[in-house]
Amino acid sequence: MPAKELNQPCTECKDAESELSVRQKQLCRHCFKRFIMHKVHMHINTVYKFRKENNGARHQLLLPLSFGVSSSVLLEMLNVDYQRRLDNELPMGYDLHILVVEPSTMTVSASCDKNYEVLQKNNPMRTVNRIPFHSVFEHVPEMEEIMREYAGAQFVDDASKSNEERLAAFRASISTATSQTDVDTILLTRLVVEFAKKSGCKSVLWGDSDSRLAAKALAGVAKGRGASLTWQVSDGMSPWGLKFQYPLRDLYKAELLEYAHFTPELFEIIIPDKPASDNVLTKNLSIDELMMRYVENQGAKYPGVMANVARTANKLDPSDTKNAPSCSLCGGLLGNVKGNVGVTVAGQAEDCQSSQFCYGCMRSRPEVLR
Amino acid sequence: MAPTVCFNCKEARAVIIRPKNRHKLCRACFIQIFETEVHETIIGTKLFFRGERVAIGASGGKDSTVLAAVLKTLNERYDYGLNLCLLSIDEGIRGYRDDSLETVKRNAVQYEMPLEIVGYGELYGWTMDQVVAQVGKKGNCTYCGVFRRQALDRGAARLGIKHVVTGHNADDVAETVMMNLLRGDLPRLSRGTSIVTDSDASDIKRSKPLKYAYEKEIVLYAHHRQLDYFSTECIYSPEAFRGSARTLIKDLEKIRPSSILDIVKSGEDMAALVPVEVRGSGKSKHAGAEDESAGGCGSQNGRSSGGEMAAMEKQLTENDAAESRETEIKLPVATSKKSKPAKPAKQIKGQTMGHCERCGYISSQRICKACTLLDGLNRNRPKTAIEVGMEDEEGSSTLMRQMERAQLGAT
Repeated sequence: MPAKELNQPCTECKDAESELSVRQKQLCRHCFKRFIMHKVHMHINTVYKFRKENNGARHQLLLPLSFGVSSSVLLEMLNVDYQRRLDNELPMGYDLHILVVEPSTMTVSASCDKNYEVLQKNNPMRTVNRIPFHSVFEHVPEMEEIMREYAGAQFVDDASKSNEERLAAFRASISTATSQTDVDTILLTRLVVEFAKKSGCKSVLWGDSDSRLAAKALAGVAKGRGASLTWQVSDGMSPWGLKFQYPLRDLYKAELLEYAHFTPELFEIIIPDKPASDNVLTKNLSIDELMMRYVENQGAKYPGVMANVARTANKLDPSDTKNAPSCSLCGGLLGNVKGNVGVTVAGQAEDCQSSQFCYGCMRSRPEVLR
Repeated sequence: MAPTVCFNCKEARAVIIRPKNRHKLCRACFIQIFETEVHETIIGTKLFFRGERVAIGASGGKDSTVLAAVLKTLNERYDYGLNLCLLSIDEGIRGYRDDSLETVKRNAVQYEMPLEIVGYGELYGWTMDQVVAQVGKKGNCTYCGVFRRQALDRGAARLGIKHVVTGHNADDVAETVMMNLLRGDLPRLSRGTSIVTDSDASDIKRSKPLKYAYEKEIVLYAHHRQLDYFSTECIYSPEAFRGSARTLIKDLEKIRPSSILDIVKSGEDMAALVPVEVRGSGKSKHAGAEDESAGGCGSQNGRSSGGEMAAMEKQLTENDAAESRETEIKLPVATSKKSKPAKPAKQIKGQTMGHCERCGYISSQRICKACTLLDGLNRNRPKTAIEVGMEDEEGSSTLMRQMERAQLGAT
């Protein structure tokens, strides 16, 4: 039988036309998806190991879904894996809970009702939940108190108002884009963690891509949160006794976008990112945005170097931070890591040590004069 | 509009917006606060002891000039009891160093401090201009950095001084943190932020008292005290990773002025989190000095060739490819996972400090880095000297004279 006439055959299977170039290889759609799955497989495998630790009982995992590309792709991959195990009669080992924090309660955006419907329809085997952002007050009861302490005297919390209005007022009291993003991320993490605990979950699977993790690492360092990278970027134990895992840590954002592009099941779930505007002055960006842009720009030329940032952060060893007093807001370390004799906090030392908030949170505090 | 009053004294008119926290201050309060913060750093880290002889690494640039001025002031105000002097390195970069050395000479008079100048020419037989003529502009910072580290030590040794302070500021330290994160260099990440970088093998200690001082505030301080400094940058460009980190930090500072200090704080914390086995040879922070020297050349231009980043990218891609091949072979070995975390062990290889066989300078290798670099440089040079005929006396007369002088010096 004569070989197929191919202009540019896939370097893996040599049996189909290559459709895209990935890490120096020309791949067809099928081999590309296999390559992506292979990269994630190692991390997903660790999930199955939990069963042993759990005395054979199924492990409960939480996947927070933002309807963005990365978390949606992660869910899709877990579903592919689920189907494969079902077909081959392999043990499942875990139950997946999906949590959606309604995006329209966080940013000004249209409701995700339609996407949520599709999500529910496509995942009958999963527990799917949706909660608003301001339910942080219900799920984290101490948050009211923390918020008042944190915001300081200038902020007046009106308990007669609805949770939604109170949260909006608190968020509005924070002046800069960087601090707003910073505090929002903390509140979201707290909400997800508390929800996970209530659902009996021991681990949270975050959908951060490698690019996102690199940006998070750089932004964390720039915000004085270097000590928190051990669970914000590395796979590790969070301050709340839940494991944080990042199964997509070996995949670039661009690769996940390609994957989503080849996966029709995701078309109705993903809410596409708004294109980054070039029209913004650097000083009006948040640090997180700046770093995301930096990683995207540099990553186009040096993807490996950017990937290496997240890998480097993943090598930090958190054992010295155990049992140290932690920040009541973000859970990060109060003061310095053991062994750090630096006096960076010179001007703020007293302020910081007597306070229940860490260095990073003090920087994002509403009333602090910057 | 009424003039704003000083945030600190509430009396005088504010003329400065502090870059660090945007406080509006009058001239006197700014100078006072700046000096007090350096004092707090010195006291907080127990940097000096009474009667200590300290050499200030002086380049004539803003950082070292401010360092000399502040140390002189603090030494008198708080009675540290320090014996200060200036130590200068002449890299031999025409149009940059010869002019700045004049500034250092004036500073020595202004601050009534003795001055010692050590030249690359006399130490190594190569000025930086000659090095660049030979190796080109790419990678010349390596030579300069390695040579400077030794030169400072030798200058201090010549003066019988055991402590050299350098003008590295918070921006430099932040840059080093970001750079080492981008380079994935954990051993350096664990050392780059410490205020004192000394080595078990060397008895000369290095420190950076301006570690928490903003570059912009150093400029303001120099301006408001009308210090005499030289403000031209090194004419040779910085390494790509540093260039990239520098651009990033400038952007960060625009967004949140405190971020330079925040990066330093993160860097200090992360340094303590670097696993012990990756840190390199225990307390020997010798290479810490290496990191500084690269930032210390004061070149502020973000230009970069990108060569180093591209080279690292290439290597990482190759590693990645190799790793994917590796996995396929490894599959049957189920227990191999356990041994994996031990992988970084290969770069650990306990550094034992000895002395260079050639020059006697401390080195973890048989021959120190400077001598190795010199070997490379000299390999091309003797040829010209050997080929000297009677007729072309003219062209090589300078070299001959140098050799004569070297011989004279040796006897």
